[in-house]
Amino acid sequence: MLMNPDTLAKVTPGISRLELEREGVYKAIAEVKIGPVNGKFEGRAEVADPVAPESFTLKVVQNSKIGNVSADIRMHLKPVSDSETELSFDGKADMSGLLARTGNRVMSGVANTLTKQFFSNFEKELAAQGA
Amino acid sequence: MSNKFIGKSIKRIEDKRFTTGKGRYTDDIVLPGMTHAYMLRSPYAHARINRIDTSEAETMEGVVAIITGEEVSHYSVPCGWQVNFKNGDTMKEPPHPLLVKDKVRHVGDAVAMVIAETREQAQDAAEAIIVDYEVLPAVVNAAEAVKDGAPLVHDDVPNNICFDWEIGNPKAEVDEAMDGAHHITSLEFVNQRLSPNAMEPRSYIGHYDSVYDKYTLYTSTQNPHLIRLLMCAFVLGLPEHKVRVVGPDVGGGFGSKIYHYTEEALVTVAAKKINRPVKWTETRSEAFQTDAHGRDHVTHAEMGFDAAGKIVGLRIKTFANLGAYLSTFSTAVPTYLHGTLLQGLYTTPKIHLDMTCAFTHTTAVDAYRGAGRPEATYLLERLMDLAAHEMDMDPAELRLKNFIPPFDGVEQPGYQTNVALQYDSGNYHGVLERGLQMLGYEDFRKAQQEAAQTGKLLGVGFSTYIEACGIAPSAVVGSLGARAGLYEVGQVRVQPTGKVSVFTGAHSHGQGHETTFAQVVADRLGIPMEDVDIIHGDSDTVAFGMGTYGSRSLAVGGSAIMKSLDKIIEKGAKIAAHKLECSEEDIVFADGKFTVTGTDRSLGFGDIALTAYVPHVYPQNLEPGLDFSSFYDPKNFTYPYGCHICVVEVDKETGETKVKRFIAVDDVGTVINPMIVDGQIHGGLAQGIGQALMEGVEYDETGQLINGSYMDYTMPRADDFPMFELDRQETPCPHNPLGVKGAGEAGCIGSTPAAVNAVIDALWSGGFKVKDIKMPLTSERVWRAMN
Repeated sequence: MLMNPDTLAKVTPGISRLELEREGVYKAIAEVKIGPVNGKFEGRAEVADPVAPESFTLKVVQNSKIGNVSADIRMHLKPVSDSETELSFDGKADMSGLLARTGNRVMSGVANTLTKQFFSNFEKELAAQGA
Repeated sequence: MSNKFIGKSIKRIEDKRFTTGKGRYTDDIVLPGMTHAYMLRSPYAHARINRIDTSEAETMEGVVAIITGEEVSHYSVPCGWQVNFKNGDTMKEPPHPLLVKDKVRHVGDAVAMVIAETREQAQDAAEAIIVDYEVLPAVVNAAEAVKDGAPLVHDDVPNNICFDWEIGNPKAEVDEAMDGAHHITSLEFVNQRLSPNAMEPRSYIGHYDSVYDKYTLYTSTQNPHLIRLLMCAFVLGLPEHKVRVVGPDVGGGFGSKIYHYTEEALVTVAAKKINRPVKWTETRSEAFQTDAHGRDHVTHAEMGFDAAGKIVGLRIKTFANLGAYLSTFSTAVPTYLHGTLLQGLYTTPKIHLDMTCAFTHTTAVDAYRGAGRPEATYLLERLMDLAAHEMDMDPAELRLKNFIPPFDGVEQPGYQTNVALQYDSGNYHGVLERGLQMLGYEDFRKAQQEAAQTGKLLGVGFSTYIEACGIAPSAVVGSLGARAGLYEVGQVRVQPTGKVSVFTGAHSHGQGHETTFAQVVADRLGIPMEDVDIIHGDSDTVAFGMGTYGSRSLAVGGSAIMKSLDKIIEKGAKIAAHKLECSEEDIVFADGKFTVTGTDRSLGFGDIALTAYVPHVYPQNLEPGLDFSSFYDPKNFTYPYGCHICVVEVDKETGETKVKRFIAVDDVGTVINPMIVDGQIHGGLAQGIGQALMEGVEYDETGQLINGSYMDYTMPRADDFPMFELDRQETPCPHNPLGVKGAGEAGCIGSTPAAVNAVIDALWSGGFKVKDIKMPLTSERVWRAMN
């Protein structure tokens, strides 16, 4: 379900559209507006090293007028019980340009906010699809 | 010479226009048909450029031209100083292109210049240029850059080493002295990178006049003639007589506007290409990325003492970061302006500096207010205070014990150091003793003991510094590798009515030359200051010049004017003798009058001026006119020095540091305008304490500049400081006609270690025996040092 572009677009904060370009590669349009970080990003998200069913890496490269972001996010899915799966991730993001020069101070805050939004959106989506 | 103006705090003539918003800066200049340029810059510290596609941008509204690296690939900006490796090889001097075409080497490296009808159109078009970057690993720290396997900034510079260099006594002698030391204080520290932050960002206008085949460059520079020389002879290959460089009002430089920047050459080339003027003014964000930074040393220093506390040796290993490209003065700063000051005010018998200068994927590093001398002072003065703590001695006592004894440079000879310089004159005990008196030292120590029992620790930090200013004797700097002479030019043109136009090669960008120089000229000629106009900053009006940096304007530029004034008076005396029918030897000039000695027969300065231009009754064999130009090449550097004392209060719970008092006793030689000198000291102190407690450029490990805005880079403000307590000692410089030593950089050189030492002292008083805290000493770092 997580690898479905429609779901990803819905749950990922700021992503307004995700188009499948080819197997595992999506074109992503994102709009982020948090404090001084405010911009429209165009980029590519790629699912790499999938180890079904427990993990995959989401490689994201986003370009915008205010700077570029490239991130590698490793998603881990661990079955806890028949009906529960624990979703965790770790990753690293490199920023450049204006985003790095002025956004760095607030970026970890922004990342936390976006992460929280992602999980709460995902919960909502799960509930909606389950219903 | 009368003393009507010299030594008086005359209000600055230029401030009327500056404080009413009427200064005329480069960006205020609008030329007919002028276009606007925008620079497309790299967002990456290190990346290969696979492709640049300007096709869409070229079709956009308002776009006049787009220049990329390919078109200007035959130009390269030179470094002004050549330094050789220890083994005699010439330093590595990789090309410094106007625009890169193959590989970007720091964030902000320029890839294209877009010229359009408006600045906004140029920016929009630049954003439509597609650059395909292949991002490569970067290195930002000089000590890391020289290690095997570090990413290379320039493929043909092994280990990123521009050169290695040493100065002082033979290393073996210093090792021997250190082996015999009773105590060695050692310290590893970083003198962090700073952004210069001139109030006016850099701004250039290129203009080409096809009728006269003549170029004009308007530039926010500290030295228009030097820019013309570098740009014409070394970059573009243009004939100098066909290029005029104008540095109009300039809003601060602090060193960052000495250098010849790529954009200056680009607007000049572009103006001819499109046959229209081209203006480029940087944004503050670009200033952070591209104005040459300052400092950035990684140092391990050791100072050895005998049992009585006398210094026996000083041994230093430093890695200096030069950034990605060599800027105009960059190689001279960590070497000739730093290594030569490591004697400080002390009789240290053995000194050795081992210096490695490295390229990194960062903005170029060059002179920033003080330039090398603050780094030397920081090193010495941190070691002195720390040694006092470690040996349980008083830091003031330790200094007094090690100072060079007083000498005036006339009766007693100058002091020959172990690091190539000969100090001119000084009384180093005098400034420290006066500082201690102003502080009320004994009372302070009592108060400190009481405070140690509370949550607010008190600390005092000392710094006694010396600097080499009045840059510089040409023969000396020539032997050191300078590719230019560092004399100055002063022309005095007496108009037929006795009004005086003075042309100086020095350049004022906030220093108040229009006032100070006029004070000197008016007193020398005995005329009102209103009759004197100081003209600078235009290569077509001023014969030549080397500009303003290194606290040189009055010591070198003022001395050149003095030489011309002497010639004016000598010729005036000839004219007066002829008219008054006496011999030339009988004429005395005083208070604006040429008088036959012992009589009341005299002629005013204005009468002589008129006679020189209407020479009906005139000496035979004497040319008409009263206009002289002189070149003054100093015999030696000048050596201002002083004592800075900082008192801080540190909150034990939060680490917050407050500067409670700051005392500065400086000897800048003879003072022409005390108010202007005070102003220079105040500004320098703010910058120096700013480095200690607030400022610092930060790059992350990928080479991204992560505090490139005023939201992220802390600039000191007036309310961060108490009212500074200033005093002066005046020992005139023995080798220039005004006795002046220079005051522009003193505040910035002495104050940084005083502030850091004060925090360290506060911590020791509370039982925290801390050797070092990384600058800037933010409350977090100070708190961590205690927890």
